[in-house]
Formats: sequence, C-alpha cells, structure tokens
Amino acid sequence: MSDRLTLEELAALMKKAGITVDPTELASRPHSAFDEYGLDSLGLLGIVGELENRRGRALPTHADRCKTPGEFLDLVNHSLMTGA
Amino acid sequence: MTSRTVITGIGVVAPNGVGADAFWKATQSGLSVLDRVTRAGCEHLPLRVAGEVRGFDPGAMVEDRFLVQTDRFTHHALAAADLALEDARLGRADYEGDPFSVGVVTAAGSGGGEFGQRELQHLWEQGPRFVGPYQSIAWFYAASTGQISIRRGLKGPCGVVASDEAGGLDAFAHAARAIRQGSRAMLVGATEAPLAPYSIVCQLEYEGLSTGEDPERAYRPFTDKACGFVPAEGGAMFVVEDEDEARRRGATVRAVLAGHAATFTGTRRRDVSGEGLAHAIRGALREADCAPEEIDVVFADAIGTPEADAAEAAAIADALGAYGRKVPVTAPKSGTGRAYCAAPALDTAAAVLALEHGVVPPTPNVYDVCHDLDVVTGSARAAELRTALVLSRGRMGSNAALVVRKGA
Repeated sequence: MSDRLTLEELAALMKKAGITVDPTELASRPHSAFDEYGLDSLGLLGIVGELENRRGRALPTHADRCKTPGEFLDLVNHSLMTGA
Repeated sequence: MTSRTVITGIGVVAPNGVGADAFWKATQSGLSVLDRVTRAGCEHLPLRVAGEVRGFDPGAMVEDRFLVQTDRFTHHALAAADLALEDARLGRADYEGDPFSVGVVTAAGSGGGEFGQRELQHLWEQGPRFVGPYQSIAWFYAASTGQISIRRGLKGPCGVVASDEAGGLDAFAHAARAIRQGSRAMLVGATEAPLAPYSIVCQLEYEGLSTGEDPERAYRPFTDKACGFVPAEGGAMFVVEDEDEARRRGATVRAVLAGHAATFTGTRRRDVSGEGLAHAIRGALREADCAPEEIDVVFADAIGTPEADAAEAAAIADALGAYGRKVPVTAPKSGTGRAYCAAPALDTAAAVLALEHGVVPPTPNVYDVCHDLDVVTGSARAAELRTALVLSRGRMGSNAALVVRKGA
C-alpha cells in the first residue's frame, strides 16, 4: 500500500491521541505547530507507529520530529510515493 | 513543620463518593460500599470483594488528550487535584506569575496496571510495533505527579513517594518541607487503581488480602472475625500552603499539618510493625508538640488480620499510654476498602472533615471489637475534636503517623 496520507486520516489519527481537530482546520493552517493543536512529541510518535503499521512499511526516522501537519504530510507522502 | 503548613483544599475520588461533600456524607453515615469486583477481566479471579469507584466519569472532568496518555490511577489524581484546587480557590491566575512557587507530590504503590497490561497484551499478541508510546510514561508511579504538573502548569518541587502504603502520609511531610523551603503551595496526596487483572494477580500473594465472598464479612478489622483487608481504588489530593500565605490571600484554613514521623520495620513482620508504628506516633506527637491526651480521634491503619490489628492496638497503647484505651478509634476504610497509598490520604480527608464537623465517623461492618480499643462502630459519634492522628503501615514495612489539627 502506498496510498497517500490525507488530512482526514491525519485528523482521525490525532483523534486517537486525544486531539479533536477538523480536517478543514488542518487544511486552513497546515503550518501551525502540532503543539498548538495540543499534540505532544509522544503523540506524534504514536501516529508514526500507527501509520507504519497501516502502510506496512517504515517511514523516515525523522518523521516524528516534524513540527507541523503540513511538514508531516509532505514528508510522509514523499516517502510513500518514492518508496524512500 | 515549624512554620505552619495548612490544608486549604480537599479533592476526593472515593468508592463512596466523588467530591469531599459526597465522601463525607457517606463516611459519616457508616455506609459500606464494598461490593463484588466488576472491573473488566477480573470476574474469574479469586479476589471477590473490593471498593470500586463507580460514580466517576473521567471524560467529564479531564480532557481526552490527558486521558489517552494516562492510566486510571492518574485519571483519579487529575480529577482529585482539580477538586482540591477548586476547593482552595487556587486558580492558574494565582500562580502563573510565579509557576515555580507551586509543586506536586504524590505517593503511589500500584502504578498504572490497567494501561500497562493493555500495552503488554499488544506486545505479545501483535509485536513491539503495536505498543503505544504512552506506555513509556503511563504506568510508572510518577505519572500522576508529572501529569498534574503539566496540565496545571506547576513548576515547583515535584516528586513521588514510593514508600508503600505509608507513603501516602510521608507525601504530606515532603509537601510541608517544600513549603518550609519557600514554595507557596503544594498539591499533595495519593490515588490508586489496583483493580485490573494484572494488578489483582500481583496482589493475590499479599499477606492479609481477603478473598472473602461476602461484602459485609470480607473486611472486619479489630474483630475476632478479622480475615484480612479488601483492596480499593480512588484517593484524595490536597492543596497545602504556608499558613500566612493562605490567610493573606483569604483562603479558608481547613486544617493544620502539625506533625509526621515514619519508621521501617521490614517485610512480612506485622508482629513488629507495632513497635515501629509506636515510634512513628511518638515522633509525630513530638513534632506537633502534642501530648497523647490531646489526640481526640485516631484513624487506624486497620489491616484486618489478627496479628496486624493486635500490633496496631499495642502501638496505640504504647505511644498514648493508658489514654490509648480511651481515645476514640475509627477505620472508615472498612466500608470502602484499602486503597494502598491512597488509604491514608482518604483517611486524612476524613480526619479533616471529622474535625470540621465534630463527628467521629464509624467503622462499617465491625461490631464486636476484640482489642482493648474504643473503636467507634455502628453510627457516628459527636465529639469536640481538635486534633486527629492518622496511622498507616505498608506491607513492605513502612509505618507512618500524621497529626492533623483543626484549622481556623
């Protein structure tokens, strides 16, 4: 599977970390820090792990250091598309 | 405790009530809420009776992002801390100018067993990639202190006492020391949630754990039917402050932390725990500058085995002399269960409420006392109360005593 990560899926993953956010809000301010949404570093680490399990492949090791949803989406989708 | 440290807020999450008022109403009525264990996955285990916290909806009190990363024992702590802050009327606006002036100290003995079990099951059913990252923080004793600190922005001295059940009293001494050293306020207390399958299995080998089937008979300390204790969950958190600071901001002083002392007598030595407990009582009285006859009520540890109860009765007689046979003794936990480190925290809450109301709450399910103690049974006893003594012993050998005086 190499289907792209969408804002809808990211919002659903954030919900599992206890953060309720509308995908349209993520779309309107993709460069707001995860911190501002209330997601901490362990929360993002959990999202990376869940995505890796769902896609059945590893993401770049620095994926959990992304600061914003936009940065995370770009990194994950670039990785999924190129297989890098 | 030379400059006085006072209690200005109490938050309770107990099997017999959420909130200090509900807790006190049930406690002074002598209501026993011990019941069959109904927590998920525990039905087949040999522990039959416990004190479960049933009237508590964590989602109504704590944000999801804190709930998903914490165990039930921390849910209890976060909620109890909020209730204590609310009671003390101490809000973020009061300390955000100096967040280093307020700290947190809790005691814990059971940790996050439910959360830990779930993640370990993911580990052996699906593999390490399926263990959530919050496992790294949720099941440790320190989780509640850390999460309260983070959630409320408290950057003062933060710690956790891992010293057995009696650590629930030692935490007050740590908080009082922080106040003496200049902290303005401390959140202090203990909560537990040991009623999960993994946690219960750990307790099955505990000396004195009662596996009785009948909620009215499973925990009857100080009687010749004593067959051990039943465990419980929940606990209490308190706001304590320097007395002058508290009065300056117009807070109500609910009680004074007057004296504390602790001793250690080793594991599986309930017979000698009495000697250690007597030393602790004497130390606490000394710090409080309190004569034995000034103690108006004793909140007993009440382990509920014949040897442990005899050791406690001997300790009271040893430390308080002939007066030890006359002082009213109560153990409300016989109606709620023994919440490990949180047991003496709940007893301290009950002691403060007893001082305020002039009422000694009774010892539920206890009728014929077989020790030379004036155990208050049946119904509550009205009395003029100025000073209370709270006792606690841990299964690993810690003993502690706390003297609490009436506020105002």
